[in-house]
Amino acid sequence: MRNYFLLLFFIVIGSSIQAQENAMSASEITSFKEKVIATAKTTKTIKTDFVQYKHLDFLANDVKTSGKMVFKAPNLVKWEYTNPYKYSVIFKEDQLLINDGGTKSKVDIGNSKLFKKLNQLIVNSVKGNMFNDADFTVSFFKSSKYNKAVFIPKDKKIASYIASFELLFNKNDAQVYEVKMIEPSQDFTRIIFSNRDLNNTVDDSIFSN
Amino acid sequence: MIRFLAISFLSIFGLASCSLKTTEGLRQVHFNKVDVENPYFSNSEIDYVYKAKIEVYKKNLGGILIVKKLGPENHRIVFTTEFGSKLFDFQFEGDTFIKHFIAEDLDKKFIVNILKDDFKVLVNESSKVLEVYESKNERIYKTQADKNFNFYFLEDRSEKLKKIVNTTKTKEKVEIDFISSEDNIADIIAIKHNNIKLTIDLEKFKKE
Repeated sequence: MRNYFLLLFFIVIGSSIQAQENAMSASEITSFKEKVIATAKTTKTIKTDFVQYKHLDFLANDVKTSGKMVFKAPNLVKWEYTNPYKYSVIFKEDQLLINDGGTKSKVDIGNSKLFKKLNQLIVNSVKGNMFNDADFTVSFFKSSKYNKAVFIPKDKKIASYIASFELLFNKNDAQVYEVKMIEPSQDFTRIIFSNRDLNNTVDDSIFSN
Repeated sequence: MIRFLAISFLSIFGLASCSLKTTEGLRQVHFNKVDVENPYFSNSEIDYVYKAKIEVYKKNLGGILIVKKLGPENHRIVFTTEFGSKLFDFQFEGDTFIKHFIAEDLDKKFIVNILKDDFKVLVNESSKVLEVYESKNERIYKTQADKNFNFYFLEDRSEKLKKIVNTTKTKEKVEIDFISSEDNIADIIAIKHNNIKLTIDLEKFKKE
């Protein structure tokens, strides 16, 4: 009997947690999109710290790595992991410039559609502006804490790697503060940004290997 | 003359093909040990997480290697990019090999076979000893590994596993070196292939 009440209790609590996140109405979607696009337009540079959690169901703890990300409009991005190892990737034109703890390499992505798509996805998700991407079905949710956009890829090849892609936005400034990529197996990667520094000078020399 | 040449060639060929570099100059000894153990992936409470650097025919590829013991003779091995996307996800359960996932570009039979063979040697915990050899400060245990052999190099005093060499009857195929400061934890693992230009260097994530 006691267990039954406990179960009922969890169902009620569970559904009330669920209820905190609702689908946006059509007008809410329109105003949310406008706000994000306006923010993205005024965003020339971003410097931010990030923590990445790789969740695999069979592990006791998520695999945690962290570092800094730098973005400069229109499309320069550098991801620099500093803990527990040093590794950086620069997305620059049609190339990936990699520095793996001192081992430098270059990958041409000019011929790879998938990589181009990935690059575009990264730039757009950093800016938050990817609602017009014809390759994804997008849906929108809101809670008291955040606005959320969920992207489901239409392309089968991309879908074999990513089942869906979630961006969480601050309510006040419409900046992305969390990216979550969910694999078809339901394992996922979460990247959480903090200490964001907007529109300060970022030298181009940061984006060379 | 022709006969002499033929004999010389045959004997040279014969000698070369019989001798395995691994045990060259080593003394075979009697042994009591029945099984030899690799302790480095044997604790099911530990998430074994390594930064990986792969060099294949002068091309570099980085990522994260995750190994988890799920039960007796049951290991899950996942390799992801630094960004977290899975490149492959394998499981060894007894003699069964399960391919949960592999990225399309890597899904070629010869690549899968190399990875499967390497990681099987790496996570295999215990094998029956066939022969034992001795060097100045090591004991070398020979075991059967399907059609091939594994040679386990254990340091004399500490009995620490330093190296595994996977061989055919005549040739060394893969060498795995371990550097371990803590008990039963390998800080650095280097996997080197002799027949193809492939090396995999693994460095354990530091504790926070």
